[in-house]
Amino acid sequence: MRQWVASACVGFGRACVVVVVAMLVPAVWAAAVVLWFWWWGGNLWSGIAPFIWACIGTLALSRPVCRMVRSLVAKWTGTVIPAGYRQAGPVTQMATGHWWNGYSYERTSRDARMDLRWRTRWRDPAVWRDLRFMAIVPITAGVICAIPPAGVVAAVLGLSQPALPARLVGVLGLAVAIGGAPYAWRSVEPVAVRFLRASPATALADRVDELTAQRADTTVAQAAEIRRIERDLHDGAQARLVALGLSLATAEKLMETNPDQAKALMREARAGAATSLTELRELVKGINPPVLSERGLVDAVRALALDSPLEATVSTDLQLRLDPPIESAVYFGVAELLTNAVKHAHATRARISIARDDTGIVVDVEDDGRGGAGMRPDGGLAGLRRRLAVFDGALEITSPAGGPTCVRMVVPCESL
Amino acid sequence: MRIVVAEDLYLLRDGMVRLIEAYGHQVVATATTGPETLDALLKWRPDVSVVDVRMPPTQSDEGLRAALAARREVPGLPILILSQHVEQLYARELLADGAGGVGYLLKDSVFDADQFIDALIRVAAAGTAMDPAVIAKLLSSGSSTRRLGGLTEREHSVLGLMAEGLSNQAIGQRLFLSESAISKYTTSMFGKLGIADDDGSNRRVLAVLTYLNEP
Repeated sequence: MRQWVASACVGFGRACVVVVVAMLVPAVWAAAVVLWFWWWGGNLWSGIAPFIWACIGTLALSRPVCRMVRSLVAKWTGTVIPAGYRQAGPVTQMATGHWWNGYSYERTSRDARMDLRWRTRWRDPAVWRDLRFMAIVPITAGVICAIPPAGVVAAVLGLSQPALPARLVGVLGLAVAIGGAPYAWRSVEPVAVRFLRASPATALADRVDELTAQRADTTVAQAAEIRRIERDLHDGAQARLVALGLSLATAEKLMETNPDQAKALMREARAGAATSLTELRELVKGINPPVLSERGLVDAVRALALDSPLEATVSTDLQLRLDPPIESAVYFGVAELLTNAVKHAHATRARISIARDDTGIVVDVEDDGRGGAGMRPDGGLAGLRRRLAVFDGALEITSPAGGPTCVRMVVPCESL
Repeated sequence: MRIVVAEDLYLLRDGMVRLIEAYGHQVVATATTGPETLDALLKWRPDVSVVDVRMPPTQSDEGLRAALAARREVPGLPILILSQHVEQLYARELLADGAGGVGYLLKDSVFDADQFIDALIRVAAAGTAMDPAVIAKLLSSGSSTRRLGGLTEREHSVLGLMAEGLSNQAIGQRLFLSESAISKYTTSMFGKLGIADDDGSNRRVLAVLTYLNEP
């Protein structure tokens, strides 16, 4: 009972808020009409001015009202409705000192940004969606949410009259107000979800933008990686093999005249071969760790934990093979997190768990370090997030100052 | 000694066979795939075998799995695993049965033919031959540092060399110490770790490795 009363009170408050927000635009129009009759006596031609004012008012109010409805729905029901507004792009300074925003040159960066903001706003299909919502919300959620306050008004007016019919109306109004209070405000959620979300076309366009950016990132990262491998081979193994060949050629020459020196050269050559093998091994490990292709993700992470200076435990009951690119991304992710735990968090222990739920694979890495890890735009964690994003994966970090740090990687995937 | 060589790359296999025969041992069979290796190991029961980790048909850890399977059939069958990379994970799997007669070395170790043949002989005699890199990582891992905290630096290095499979004499040569000095170190070391110090050096090594291997 007490719960019901509480929900009725909260509901009544929410219904009033919805009514106020939903009726802002109709109120503007009502004011315009009142002004028209009161000032100009309803003359048709003189109605143009209040009409234009009302239009301007609607345009100006549409975005703030929609934003308010979105935030109210998110706060009350937890349903997050993506806004889907177009974002203004960056502006660049040209060699002439003027600023270019993609459409026009401006004298200052502020002008260029302002110009761009207006252009983006005018071409945004979301403006039409917001205007449509302005017309729909008063006659749907607005009307429904108006029932409890209207009931209260009827009760106050009706019960203050001595006549019986008026008192009956007042009792009826009270009953409607009390009965409808906990439920009326809920009508705003379906209306907002149906009419306020981004249109499929906008959602698709956003997705295409996101994928294009990711593709560009991946291409750049891949090119950098290939350059690194090329440089390592060029300066390492290749150079050593040249030196090896030289030593052997010289040894061959010296074999008869100076066998002792020839032997020394051969020893040197052997040492060189061993060093280049070590270098190649390290390089291969950085490209694709052999244990990953031999055993798959779980055992590779186990091997990583064993090699880590941390006391790391791996808990999982999975023995799964995933797509090799995903395995590789997750493996290097864990490797990077363990390195961070040692280098930045000064941790001594780490716990890694690998599990899967119905959407994909979930890897948690937790350490006992000093925490305070954050996402810097050029930092390792941001890079890791980008690499996971290629597979639609996500990275969540909880790292309060003082520790511990918990990182969760989620990658949607099918087991092979 | 009768030896089986399992390696899928022709050049390496051929070189290894020639090297072994040059030292007066006999290669009784060679194998190039995982299943072939298992067959050869079980059929010939060699004194020792040299097995590559990565082999056809899947190019994953076929060789290692064949070796582990053969040792399950014939406990203690001496096997020396050769690989392009060493992983503690694999070393622990090989040592897990505690039966001895296992080796795990990088392929580079054939560069020093004398030491390589020494390792083969050690494994054939139910000893161990472990790659220094694996041992170093095993000794420096989190749980090991805790367990080995009481050891002096010298005892630590003696333990490392012993875990690779070296005898007291060989350790003495490496550290420029007398054999009796080494045996003094080992006695105190085993005392500190609470491991029974019996005469067979192989059993001591296994005791140490099993001790470190515990999670």
